[in-house]
Order: sequence, then C-alpha cells, then structure tokens
Amino acid sequence: MIDLEFDGVSKKYLIQQELNGGGTRFPLRGRLRKLTGNYGDFWALKDVSFQVTRGETLGIIGPNGAGKSTILKLLSKITAPTSGEITINGRMSALIEVGSGFHPELTGRENIYLSGSILGMGRREIAKKLDSIIEFAGVHQFVDTPVKRYSSGMYVRLGFSIAAHLHPDILLLDEVLAVGDVYFQAKCYDRIMNLKRGGTTIVFISHDLNAVEFLCDRALLLNHGAIADEGLPGDLISQYEVTANAAAAPGPLKDRRDGSPRPIQITRLTFHDHQEREVLRAFTGGPLIARVEFAASQPLRDLDFEIFYYSQDGKLHCQFSTSLGCEPIDLDRGEGTVHFWCPELGLQPGVYYADATIRRRADGKEIDWQYRSALLRVEPGKCVSGNFYAPNQWRITRRKEAALKAKFYELECEEQLTTDAIHICHEDSPRGKGTIGLE
Amino acid sequence: MTNDWIAHPIASAVLPTDARPVTVIRSPSSARLSTIKRLIELAHYRDLLYTLTVHRIKVRYKQSILGMSWAIFQPVSMTIAFTAVFSLIARMPSGGRPYAVFAYVALLPWNFFSSSVTNATGGIVSHSQLITKVYFPREILPITYVLAALVDFLIASSVLAALMVFYRIPLSAQIVWVLPIILVLTAFSLSIALLFSATQVRFRDIGMAMPLLLQLWMLATPIVYPLSAVPERLRYVYMLNPLVGIVENLRRVILYASTPNFASLGTSALISIILLFASYFYFKRVEVTMADII
Repeated sequence: MIDLEFDGVSKKYLIQQELNGGGTRFPLRGRLRKLTGNYGDFWALKDVSFQVTRGETLGIIGPNGAGKSTILKLLSKITAPTSGEITINGRMSALIEVGSGFHPELTGRENIYLSGSILGMGRREIAKKLDSIIEFAGVHQFVDTPVKRYSSGMYVRLGFSIAAHLHPDILLLDEVLAVGDVYFQAKCYDRIMNLKRGGTTIVFISHDLNAVEFLCDRALLLNHGAIADEGLPGDLISQYEVTANAAAAPGPLKDRRDGSPRPIQITRLTFHDHQEREVLRAFTGGPLIARVEFAASQPLRDLDFEIFYYSQDGKLHCQFSTSLGCEPIDLDRGEGTVHFWCPELGLQPGVYYADATIRRRADGKEIDWQYRSALLRVEPGKCVSGNFYAPNQWRITRRKEAALKAKFYELECEEQLTTDAIHICHEDSPRGKGTIGLE
Repeated sequence: MTNDWIAHPIASAVLPTDARPVTVIRSPSSARLSTIKRLIELAHYRDLLYTLTVHRIKVRYKQSILGMSWAIFQPVSMTIAFTAVFSLIARMPSGGRPYAVFAYVALLPWNFFSSSVTNATGGIVSHSQLITKVYFPREILPITYVLAALVDFLIASSVLAALMVFYRIPLSAQIVWVLPIILVLTAFSLSIALLFSATQVRFRDIGMAMPLLLQLWMLATPIVYPLSAVPERLRYVYMLNPLVGIVENLRRVILYASTPNFASLGTSALISIILLFASYFYFKRVEVTMADII
C-alpha cells in the first residue's frame, strides 16, 4: 500500500531581481514592478516522483539547495507545488522545528495547548496527553512558569515532547533529533523507533547521515532539485559522501604540488584493501592499507610519517605513525611511498577524514601537513558495540581452565590434535608491521 | 543493524483497505477547492481557533497593571476626550441624548473595527515563523484577532450599560436588533481583516497606511457627529461605508428605542457579505504562496 506519492512534482520559486537603471522617470512604477513582476525563475524541484510504502521509513538526503526543504514544505502543505501531484494517504504530522508557535509570555502549560493545537491536536487530545508531555519533557516543576524564563534546553525539550505526542499515520521528520542532551536524544530516538515499529510511515529529511542510515529502510539522494539516486541508505550514503566530499574537500591529493618551497611534500594519500585495490571504504575489524606518496626536493633526516583519522565532528579517533618504536626515517632527494598496514581496523562504522603529516622527530615540527586530504568510510564489518573494535580471539573448553596467558596460538597447536572439545576462532592474519619503500 | 527494507512486513495484502483520509496536493491553478470544503477544513481547526483566540486575549494583557481593564479604559478615555472637545467646546448636536453616551455607543463598534483591522493586518507577517513551518488554514490568524477584538467589545459594552443606567435611558424591545447589527459589524471587520492581512504579506504599504487610513475612516463614520449632520445629497455615497449603517442603527436601537433603518442596515449587510466572500476568496488564493513571499 502506498502511503505517500509524489507524481511529477515541480516547484518553481521566483527570485527577485533588482532592476537597474531606467527607473528614474517613473520611480513608483519601477518599485511596483519590482514587487510584482520581473522575477527570475528558480526550479527548486523538477519533475520529482517517488513513493513511500506503508510502514516504510524513507530518508531523503542531499547537499544544501538540493530541494530537501522544498519537499518538506510541500508535504506539510506550507507551500503548493507549481505542477504535479502529491497524494498523502492518512493523517500526516510534521515534527519540524521544535517550539513552533511557542509564545514567550505564556506558561509551559498554555504553550502546550497552543503549540499542540497548531500541530493539529484537539484540545481534548492535548488534555489527555498533558501529563505525559510534561513528564517526557521533564519540566514538571516549571509547567506554570512563562516559557521565556525557560532554559534553552527546557524549551526545546518541551517543543519536542509536544510533537512527539502526535500519533500520525505518516510522520515527517526534520533535523529535530539534534535537540537536548544525549539522554534526551536517546529518548527521542526511542520514541521514533517506537512509532516505526508501530507501523508509522516516516519520511526523514536530514543532513545527519548516520541518523538516516540508522533509521531508514530506503533513501533518496536529491541533487539540484531532482532525484539523483535511490537505494539502501548505507550504499547511497557512502556513495553520496564520496561524491560530496570530492566536491567539498580540499581535493584528492592527486599531484597537489602548489609551488610553495617545502623540502618535502605529501602528494597523495590513498587507501587500499588487502588485495591492493584502491578503496574508499573499509570495514570495522577488516584489513586496511594506507599509502602515502611523497616527493622530497632535498635530502632530509629524522622524519616521521603520520596519518590522523577524524570523525565528522572533528574528533581525533586514531593515528598511524612511523614513530612508534622505530628509528626516524632519513630520505634522499626524490619520490617515495610509505605504506601503513593495519590488519584489523579498530574504527567503528562512520565517516572519517584523514590528515597526513610529515614531522621532524627532534622538535615535532610539521614539514608538511595535508589537512583532511582523504575520506574513509568505515562500514560494519566485525561490528560490536562500543567506541572501537578491539581484535580478540576466543576459545571454549568443556572443563574448568585456569586463566590463559598470551599463549593462545601455541595452545591451539598442541591441543587441537588431542581434543575436539576445544574450539578456537581466529584468522590467520599477518602481524602488523610498518614498511617503508623508496622507489 | 539491518537496512534491508524488503524484509519489513509491508506487504499490502496484510493491511486491510482502511478509511484513512486521503489528501491530494496540487498546484494552485489546478486545485479548485470549493469554499464549502475550505470551511469544513476550517471547522476541523476550531480548537486551534479557540486556543489562539484565548492566547491573544491573555498575551495582550500579560505583564500590564491594568490588565483586562484596558479594554474599558481605552473607549472610556476617548469618550471623555470627545465629550470635552465636541460637547463642551464645539457644541456638537447629539440627538437629545447626553453626548458621552452618544459617542460611546459609536466608539464601541469603531474600536472593535479598528483594533481588528490594525492587529489582523500585521497578524500574518508577525507570524512568519509559524507560516513557514506549520500548515493550518491561514485565515485563522486574522479571525483570531477579530474574535479577540470582539471579546474586548463585549467587555467595554458593560460600561455602556452602566452609562445607560446612569443617564436613565430606557431600553425597549428594539434592543434585540443589536445582535444582527453586531453580526454585520463582525462580518465587515473580518472581511477587511482578511483583505488587508493577505495584501500586507506582499505589500507592506498597507501597514504603513493603516494609521492614516483609520483616521480618515473614522471621520467618514458618524462617531463624533450624528448622521443627520451629513448633507442629504451626499448620503448615497456616504452610506457606502458599511460602518455608517452599523453605527447609526446601533444608536437608533439602543439610545432612541426605535426600529432600525432597514435601508441603511441592509446596505451595510449586503456590502459586508459580498465583501466577506470576495475577501475570503482572495485570501485563499494568496494563501498558497504566502510562505514563499512572506
């Protein structure tokens, strides 16, 4: 059953253009024309068609200006399409912009009624849900205080709480999940997952790609007002991130030699899988090769190569370095490559930006620092919960056994022959080792 | 974490064909919603209408010392000023009734009209935050201002009752005509409120012109002077202002215990109703693109 259908929907906006010159003789007429006519056309959406099945959660992603907000506005009936037809089968509510319709002078309770009825709840419905709304928002003490005295956190919590008590057939979600502290956010997700499990059709329009991947069953990629692609959120997002970042990032380090007189420069940073194929994605717990190409214009001594991995929010997650337990590197004039081999990647699924640096060990000073020079998308491989994946092995025996020391492999070899009661899970992976090769 | 959407139980055969409301959104040019359907939609939003109206009244008097008595204070002080100027200084005829009552009866509907129109005109623009975020029938905004003004009107009417008792002006059965007159007044105020608020979204000139327009309009309405002071030959034009019929007939049925002048009341009613439909139609036509140009 189709709950929502866009059929060839287009939306044209008129862009006001300043008239220049000629307006001096009839200034009034010029101003009238400026207000009424002489606009440029801008197609925010062009011939967009898609369907949402009942119970499905559809994510809509895309860069700024792709038409996401226009879809949101059309769906919530804020503005009308220029052509085409939208069919909505059921009661739809939009959970957008928390705190819509709050009046600062009114108390929390009064605002619940006000905002609730703006969002389409009846007065009786609100009265029934009032306690639950207050409870969810955690503003019990302040419910009869004017909201202008609320902290900003209380304000958004109350706003979300009201919206979260709508029980629509179809839910329209905006960037609202980024409200409140982490505990409140968890509560919000929980609420939405409940609705989802209850069979609510959800359309989620967001920049938060992780949230889209987490919540959605299917995703649309919007670009320049048209559907660029459609598919499973994971696939679509990784593809989108790669293209989006290719456009936005300082650029892949393909021979980026800006004439600055640096004695050594990183020219390229790439990732490869264990078969040496160049990749843009890796898997948690899977192998990864990072390859740094450089060019030195003079002989250099006492160097270290490093790669830093940052998540999208700018947090440093891990680092590959040649400095650990090894002698510093001495180089002659010329080009070369550093390979980092990581047998089991510890990063959790997500998107990471990589910085590559060359540093002098003695004073720690960077000689070259390529900021955000590559993008790595990590997908669930050996995905476990927590902050990172830690390589581990396990075995079980059918008898009590003293805690083992580090001698897992040896034990395996001895005992595997003697008893089948032992089960050992491991991979034969080479030991981690940094290699450096000068070409 | 599974993202395989095909695995979800969506199969349409499982779900019975249900009686959910189906909404179809089309371009404004191809969507011809009938006025009746629009009014039904408005009725669905009656709770919002109620809540917003109550909110208008509450907010207006929050953090003010006089609170609700402002609704009374304003017409009373205007009456005192008018009485001082037009009765003590200018000796304006007031048709055999004390000038204070004569003016107050007219100031009540005038204040209702002027505060409805003033507040409603800016009402949509001042709610641009809402307009661009949430859908509801936009006419609710001007309507709530008119309803809030109506409440003020009713509060201020209590002073009229007190004045009538004070000056011992007898009431007659003609007082029942007050209801239809108020109805016409509300319809007319609403039609202007709809018209101006919708136009203000695109042309802010309406708001700029408002104080001047209302001053002129007040002079063109028999508030400080009686209708009889208007030259006979000008009355046909003069009566085209629906407020003339409203104010004049309120005076007749309340102060003079006489029947309404059906010609003037009818003219006012007719103009008000035609204008109301036209304004509503215009409002709904402009409504679909309000969020784009606000």
